[in-house]
Amino acid sequence: MLTRLSGGHVVDPANGRDEVADLYVEDGLVVDPPANGRVADETIDCTGLVVMAGAIDIHSHIAGGHVNTARLLLPEWHRAFQARPGETALSKVGWTTEETGLLYAEMGFTTVVEPAMAPSSALHAHLELADTPIIDKATLVVLGNDDMLMSMIREGESEGAIADYVAWTVSASRALGVKCINAGGSAAFKENVRKFDFDDVVPDYGVSSRQIVKALQTAVTSLGIPHPLHVHCNNLGVPGASSDSIEATIRAAEGSPLHLAHIQFYGYGTEGKRRFSSRGQKLAELVNSTPEVTVDIGQVMFGQTVTISSDELRQFAGSKQASPKKSIIFDHEANGGGVVPMNYKQKSYFNALQWAIGLELFLLIEDPSRVFFTTDHPNGAPFTTYPDIFALLMDRSVRAKWLEALPKSVVKMTSLPEIEREYTLTEIATMTRASPARLLGTSDRGHLGTGAVADVAVYRPDADKAKMFGKAAYVLKDGELVVKDGQVVKRKFGRALTLRPEPDKAMKTRLDRYFDDKYGLSARWFEVPEGALGRDEPFKVVPCRA
Amino acid sequence: MRVDTAWIDGQPATPEAALRAAADLLDSSRQPFVGGLRTDVIGLRSALSLARRIGAIVDHAGSAAVYPFIVPARESGAFLAAPAEMRRRADRVLILGNAAARTGADVIRMLTDAEPDLGAATRAGKRRFMTLGSKNATWPGAQETAHVDCASEEIVDVLGMVRATLAGRRTGEGALGEETVATIASFVAEASFCCVVFSPAEFGELGTEQIFGLVADLNETTRASTLPVFAEADAMGAALQATWTAGFPLRLSFGRGAAEHDAALNASERQLSGAGEADLAVLVEALAGASPATLEAAIPAILLTADPASAGSAKVAFHVATAGRDQDGVLYDPRFGGFIAKTAQTKSELPSVAAILDALAEQIGERARDAA
Ligand SMILES: [Zn+2]
Repeated sequence: MLTRLSGGHVVDPANGRDEVADLYVEDGLVVDPPANGRVADETIDCTGLVVMAGAIDIHSHIAGGHVNTARLLLPEWHRAFQARPGETALSKVGWTTEETGLLYAEMGFTTVVEPAMAPSSALHAHLELADTPIIDKATLVVLGNDDMLMSMIREGESEGAIADYVAWTVSASRALGVKCINAGGSAAFKENVRKFDFDDVVPDYGVSSRQIVKALQTAVTSLGIPHPLHVHCNNLGVPGASSDSIEATIRAAEGSPLHLAHIQFYGYGTEGKRRFSSRGQKLAELVNSTPEVTVDIGQVMFGQTVTISSDELRQFAGSKQASPKKSIIFDHEANGGGVVPMNYKQKSYFNALQWAIGLELFLLIEDPSRVFFTTDHPNGAPFTTYPDIFALLMDRSVRAKWLEALPKSVVKMTSLPEIEREYTLTEIATMTRASPARLLGTSDRGHLGTGAVADVAVYRPDADKAKMFGKAAYVLKDGELVVKDGQVVKRKFGRALTLRPEPDKAMKTRLDRYFDDKYGLSARWFEVPEGALGRDEPFKVVPCRA
Repeated sequence: MRVDTAWIDGQPATPEAALRAAADLLDSSRQPFVGGLRTDVIGLRSALSLARRIGAIVDHAGSAAVYPFIVPARESGAFLAAPAEMRRRADRVLILGNAAARTGADVIRMLTDAEPDLGAATRAGKRRFMTLGSKNATWPGAQETAHVDCASEEIVDVLGMVRATLAGRRTGEGALGEETVATIASFVAEASFCCVVFSPAEFGELGTEQIFGLVADLNETTRASTLPVFAEADAMGAALQATWTAGFPLRLSFGRGAAEHDAALNASERQLSGAGEADLAVLVEALAGASPATLEAAIPAILLTADPASAGSAKVAFHVATAGRDQDGVLYDPRFGGFIAKTAQTKSELPSVAAILDALAEQIGERARDAA
């Protein structure tokens, strides 16, 4: 069936387009306009509307053991638990797999990456993703606190051997990339270390965080994994130390690609009488001058949320500020992690400055293709706050209104009031479509060129940008109309995008023995068999680079 | 010879007739209950989907074993470990109560079978165990085991005194005396990584909260975590799956559309006894070794069972495959602390739980369309 989206304003920066044009879709793909005068079977009138590729979220905690523990820990915020649901952001968030898929689709998002899948929780994560409707999904698998990798580095094993281990892990867990979370920090915490810097060494391994990051960066590059190593730095949230850690990590990129996650949480200095200040400007300058790095923000928005992280050390530290006062800390294999509820308050100096630092970074990092749109859902805020963040980026009068509501002490500590920049539609499309696809190596999406998957989001322009991006006028997924006027009109299941590097046979044999001997577990339990998910075609394989 | 796979009132029937009879029962039910839930992830996915469609109350037959864990964990938090990590890391293991050694035998064996080999401080020596419970209970045959004799019902109080001792407060006279309490306190406090193993069902919600509290206290200065063990690990897996599917760890009702959770009102025991709202049950008993021979339900039931001997006790029954044995399946494994894919040992011609429940949902959907 040939579908024509007629007369819309096509914003497709990947193909240099910003014009009123028709878009044709057939058999799930974007196609050339028919040459032979063939008439479309169906026409969607997009006159006056903005047409973009479906948005891609590169970092949102939507599935897996830790996410599910957050659901378990916070029943009070599920809508149905209360007779009269509170108007907190979490009461509006998609808290089940089903709501996650529907709410993302309604905003025009069609691909979402779960960025912290433990190898031991891969099947669990993929089971949840298989239950998440409409959107395509992908995962990053977490390495960097695992005994195997740290032992290999300690023993001076070859880069090739380490790459074989990484390839096996990516392949078994069906990941699209590799993430490293407080490299060595969780392992050190298990030995009762309470603070861990980039050049600190993990007790008993004598291996530093820097060595772990570099070893993984080398392995990811040599395997041709398109997405650069995705790094969650040490000392998240610690004034001063956080900014030192991220600076050291960015400098350690040394010309090779590296992605730094939720950098807002590292933009903290120690100036001022509260010993908490913005280093947003300085961090943005460093990002601007280091072209090999990409970053996402992890914007904080106000309201009740919950933090979900495999940074066990920092989650333990953060559990002292839990609100409400309860948390779950995991001592699992490798990373472990923690789930800590958090209530970001507009009237709090600290929380309000966190909000401002995130926006400083968004607005001071010049190249929209190197900065990605995230709240680190739900760590900075639930993804349902995205429409408000689009408005804050695109409209400085909106920022001015928000700033007025903040404590005066905060406004003095941020450069935000002086920043005039407003994101254009093209910049928004670059940040949320074209660049994420390039970053992930998923060239079949993020643009509207011929042959792209027909994931399309159509928005009704509005002076109120939150309104415009909150409810898409139309969303097509693989060429099918799934959302109309902000409401899901058709339910279907997308797929998980995965790499499938061919694992080395000797490494497979070695790991079979390793998991059996050391952990008393079968290596097979770390694998995600296609048939286990109970869906037709649950995966779509993305090629590694040659 | 014909092999029967479906029954109506205990009499063999074709699967088609049984599906029609089951749909008739659901049609005339004011409040159905979907329970048992002894199946794998794919079977449970279908059970939850059917429950949503028919507005059912949902619970697992073994939820009573996991709720004494779930309630305190979500009300006041917890430190939780993976058995495999504790196998490599814990230098001291405290086993509480009389039930853990039995219900957590597989998990405890992971700790007794190997010595810690991770961590500068923990891997040096042999793992030491302390057991606190009745001397008549079965204990793991570990080398370095210190046993403290204590009645099960005294343990929670003793742990309160251990916490007081660790906090430097006076404890007063308890069941064991100050010296024994001090011995337990130093056993856990002097560990480099202490692992506490217990069965939450033995201690209830408040007792479990006390155990989590002790471990939280320990983490102020050293490292410690817990391994709760359950009589029916499968119920834990089902609770997790219900949480991502419907937002709550079972004991929920789709009676008003969106899932609503009430741990007391929607409990399996209450609904099956006839004291609850349910007037009809859809029960899934399709895991190896878990199916009861006769149903203990005071309300009429539609049964999906791996054991045809139990078919007679239901209004309508289906013989289904056992996931992970007759068919590939995904099951929760307590040793892994997560879901694992299990390959079938034999290939069975029996229908899967999902196939029957999906067919039933389909019938009901068709009838609703016809009526509209
Ligand atoms: Zn994150």
